[in-house]
Amino acid sequence: MFKKIWAIFIRDLRINTREFITIWLLAMPIIFALAINALAPSINDSTVRLALVDGENPVQEEYLENFARVSLFENEEAVRERVEKRDDYIGILRDGDEYYILTQGNENQAIVDFAKTLQVLYTLGYDIEDSTAEIIELGRNTPPFKKMLVNISILFGSILGGMLIAINIVEEKGDNTISAINVTTVSRMGFVLGKSMMGLLLPLYGSITVLLITGFGYVNIGQMLLVVLSATMLSLLIGFVEGLANDDMMTAVASFKMIFFPVGGAVAVAEAVSDKWQWTVWWIPYYWTYKGTGEVLSETATWPRMLLYTGIIIALCAVVFIVMIPRVRSGLEKS
Amino acid sequence: MIKVKNLYHSYSKDDKYAVKDASFEVEKGEIFGFLGPSGAGKSTTQGVLTGLLQLQKGEVTVAGYDAKKFSKKMFNDIGMSFEQSNVYNKMTAKENLAFYAKLFDVETKDPQELLELVGLGDKANLKAGDFSKGMKHRLTFARSMINNPKLWFLDEPTTGLDPAIAATIKDIIWNEKKNGVTTFLTTHNMFIADELCDRVAFIVDGEIKLIDSPRNLKLQYGAKFVDIEYIKDNDSARESLSTVEAKDRNRIKELLDTYEIQTMHTKEATLEEIFIKVTGRGLV
Ligand SMILES: Nc1ncnc2c1ncn2[C@@H]1O[C@H](COP(=O)(O)OP(=O)(O)O)[C@@H](O)[C@H]1O
Ligand SMILES: [Mg+2]
Repeated sequence: MFKKIWAIFIRDLRINTREFITIWLLAMPIIFALAINALAPSINDSTVRLALVDGENPVQEEYLENFARVSLFENEEAVRERVEKRDDYIGILRDGDEYYILTQGNENQAIVDFAKTLQVLYTLGYDIEDSTAEIIELGRNTPPFKKMLVNISILFGSILGGMLIAINIVEEKGDNTISAINVTTVSRMGFVLGKSMMGLLLPLYGSITVLLITGFGYVNIGQMLLVVLSATMLSLLIGFVEGLANDDMMTAVASFKMIFFPVGGAVAVAEAVSDKWQWTVWWIPYYWTYKGTGEVLSETATWPRMLLYTGIIIALCAVVFIVMIPRVRSGLEKS
Repeated sequence: MIKVKNLYHSYSKDDKYAVKDASFEVEKGEIFGFLGPSGAGKSTTQGVLTGLLQLQKGEVTVAGYDAKKFSKKMFNDIGMSFEQSNVYNKMTAKENLAFYAKLFDVETKDPQELLELVGLGDKANLKAGDFSKGMKHRLTFARSMINNPKLWFLDEPTTGLDPAIAATIKDIIWNEKKNGVTTFLTTHNMFIADELCDRVAFIVDGEIKLIDSPRNLKLQYGAKFVDIEYIKDNDSARESLSTVEAKDRNRIKELLDTYEIQTMHTKEATLEEIFIKVTGRGLV
């Protein structure tokens, strides 16, 4: 059976590397990764955000601006308020002669370390020439903008897998070849597995490629694949459903736009909405992938948490599967 | 090889049957012809026999497997050529066959040799999408042989092919019979059926009207006919008349007495004429 699943996969791979649109889909992760590098090229765009009290210490302010994005606030209270918002703002406040770092507690540890280091370096009187190298090294995974783009690309890779499946199913349907497969020794399950391979491998290769090209190669790829591939199951199912529902490759691909609303919503909520509203997107499996991947990218992920997210994703997908699988089965029988 | 008892099939799952109470058996090594006009229920029957359509009512055994629990393994011994060709348009002829060959557990034929057999040897590396309808049909036919089937389902294998190629296909089927292959042949081409089939079933409106060998049918129904060409009102006219039926015999006498006869041939009734006589229906 393995041999036959493989044969079906290799056939798809061959066809997909011959056609413009599918080559394009296969190349997408690389294009994304290169685009991210172009948009967020280096740590020096200082996406670590610091909140200071305006006029409190102009020299320190000037020094810190070399390494981070500094925002000035009227007084300590305003700084405190800013820090308490969801995103990663870190306050540097004065207490008598000492400075202390104010955090909300949920910030990426690396960012906090980075802020601390900056403050220490300033106190010790290092100037830019002395310190840049070390700071870049320390802050390697800090730009949230870049992290977000990488995360979105990885999520998108999973959806691309579904599109690829839809395209390949449309081909089988158009050529009426499923009936020919039905009179071979390949079982329905074998056929579905064979047809799923491309859709599984694209996100797999896609996410690894994006990580490597954008310089995230050091993160725990195993943890990331866990949350990415579990959500890919859903992309694949949608691929089968859309493939069976459409007669033309382009409309099948276009039909995926409906998936971008929940996905886009999940990303937007995760990035920009306060904690107390996160529950509004809990029902979207891709939200948990995004969250999980985010934690992997900032190296705060743990196996138990990733397994928890995977469990949630699988449970959510199971609901969709129960509703959709009869449709897929009858679709394959009719063809 | 095939046993069918009281088979019914309705696409709408009601009493509008595409196949109605069909019963027949196909012996090992024989070519069994399923003849009827289009829409008669031939492809539907074949669909049930190959598991493409779910068995609804009746008893069906194919190659020792009960249709209620067909096993995928049985397809190692079965070949199926479809009425509507269904090959991958984006793949070459050879790739189509090579891919299909991988889906069986038994020894398979060489794709190039198969293509040569059906006259597509020089087209092996062309995309099937660039093939004519007839070429695709031959590719579909060739594909059905890839796993050296012992039981071979052929749905209209010669339809739409030009006569020379149809003759080639006919020879291939004949050759396979000599190798012991059992063939279930669906067609509305009576010449092919006549030449190939050990037995034929006449099917109309989902019902089998009769099953017999072409030879017996001719002995039974195929009374001799005479074709008479004669001159009537300075024009030539033609009639085909039975030499056994009283009415026709009188007409023959009348023609001989009244008109100037130009030609007169005796001939056997064709399977087609017998079909029309038995079912009261033409073949198209
Ligand atoms: N997929 C289908 N859905 C509904 N009706 C069908 C389908 N296929 C065939 N039929 C109907 O069933 C009858 C028998 O068709 P078919 O078995 O294809 O005939 P044949 O092969 O003898 O030409 C016809 O009336 C046809 O319209
Ligand atoms: Mg038919």
